[in-house]
Amino acid sequence: MKNTFYFIKESIRIFRYNKLSNLFSFFGTALILFLLALVVGVWSISSQLAGMLKEEAEISAYFNKDVENAEDLLHIIEQIDGVRYVRLVNEEEARSRMEKILGDESDILDLFEENPFEAYFEVKIHLDKMDPVFTQISGLKGIDYVRENRDVLEQIERISKALEVLGYLVIAAVSITTLVIISHMIRQGIYQNHEQIKTLMLLGAPDNFINFPYVLLGFLLTFGGGIVATVFINILIHQGYSMLTGTIPFIPVPPKSQLVYGLSTFLLSVSAALGILGSLFGVSTSKKKK
Amino acid sequence: MIQAKNVSLRYIDGTVALREINLNVKPGEFVYIVGPSGSGKTSLLKLLMGIEFPSAGSLYVMDQPVLKKETRKIRKLRQNIGPVFQEFRLIQGRTALENVLMGMRFLDIPKRQMIINAKNALVKVGLEHKASVMVEKLSFGEAQRVAIARAVARKPALILADEPTGNLDYDNAINIMNLLYNFRDKNTTVLVTTHATHLIDNYQDASLIRVEKGKIHVERRGAKV
Repeated sequence: MKNTFYFIKESIRIFRYNKLSNLFSFFGTALILFLLALVVGVWSISSQLAGMLKEEAEISAYFNKDVENAEDLLHIIEQIDGVRYVRLVNEEEARSRMEKILGDESDILDLFEENPFEAYFEVKIHLDKMDPVFTQISGLKGIDYVRENRDVLEQIERISKALEVLGYLVIAAVSITTLVIISHMIRQGIYQNHEQIKTLMLLGAPDNFINFPYVLLGFLLTFGGGIVATVFINILIHQGYSMLTGTIPFIPVPPKSQLVYGLSTFLLSVSAALGILGSLFGVSTSKKKK
Repeated sequence: MIQAKNVSLRYIDGTVALREINLNVKPGEFVYIVGPSGSGKTSLLKLLMGIEFPSAGSLYVMDQPVLKKETRKIRKLRQNIGPVFQEFRLIQGRTALENVLMGMRFLDIPKRQMIINAKNALVKVGLEHKASVMVEKLSFGEAQRVAIARAVARKPALILADEPTGNLDYDNAINIMNLLYNFRDKNTTVLVTTHATHLIDNYQDASLIRVEKGKIHVERRGAKV
């Protein structure tokens, strides 16, 4: 504790030795962390979107006219493992839904003398049990035809997984780049101060004492970069949300506060951890004469 | 305090700096090590500080064997030594006071005591008025005295001064010698190397060791304080 101010002053001094290079490291780290936040943000939104759409996974089961009591069939479907919810959509509701989809073009339905739509069961299911549920419902007596939206759901799932892989790759790339930048900067600082370090060693200073200002500087630069990236990503989120809600309000994005809090916490934690790790790596790989 | 038995020092280029030296320095002793340039005086101090290690023989400083593998313990040993380097080794861009404090920051000395020790040491070397002056703005003699203040401020058990009067004029050299001589204490052993033998005639109660071509012999055994 007695050396707190000394360590801070030393860190500032080391920063000043190579001000321009350290400033570039600082802004470079901030930019890298900002890009990381962008990818993680998109990944987070797409995961949430995929999750929400998974909840909407459903199949439509059409039954033939011989079925006297559709409610009995509904109860049978409800018992199937993997089925979350079953609802009977009658002919009128089916037509009304199509009218909504067609919008201004819905007049075309008036050309039919009779309602062309059939009643069906709307079955919400667990996506991972789509195949057995599909097979079981198809095999039920009275069921004519079963339709599923698997293609769309699987496409979304694939995009989400691709973004997840991309996210991991970007995290790895950012981590390595930041570690290299910070450790290189620390090694440069140590090299420039090697005479002072040698003197301290000759006076008997332990490694922890000698290294601490360098580790502190690496931490402060990376964490500072993290703070700058957090500020910019917050501005971007605020701008983005105001644009989204104004133009395409139906996109199921997570609440703004949740995204801001999540990304800010992530960025600050990652920058702090990378700062400490990068500095320790730089200190441990620098060549100091004992 | 120091026990050396048949210690030799051979550098990596094959140069033999010290040959089978035997030395026994007791706590509180004040020792002048004299000899011409290149005789092995600095090599002897380097061994005592754990900067170099014996190629043969055994060396103990404050009961700590000086061995290459004992890096951590050697660093700890140095904390009990007050070194005055030939080239001063002051840290540039810091004031005289900051340099003196630098020798104590990592020691178990409370902050307040550390500052008192540093200021007292600067008073002893007559530089209290230069405490806040950057060391690069000090004269040669003043820088030398700051280096001495840094060595003594932490109250070490052993002071090792390597050619502290080199490059100084006679008056300044005598001042530095007096200064070091006045730091002798029953708890502080002092070893000073010099090739200027005419400077030490006044200190008859100090021990005198002569180093020549890597061999040493004790010319005079002084009284302990």
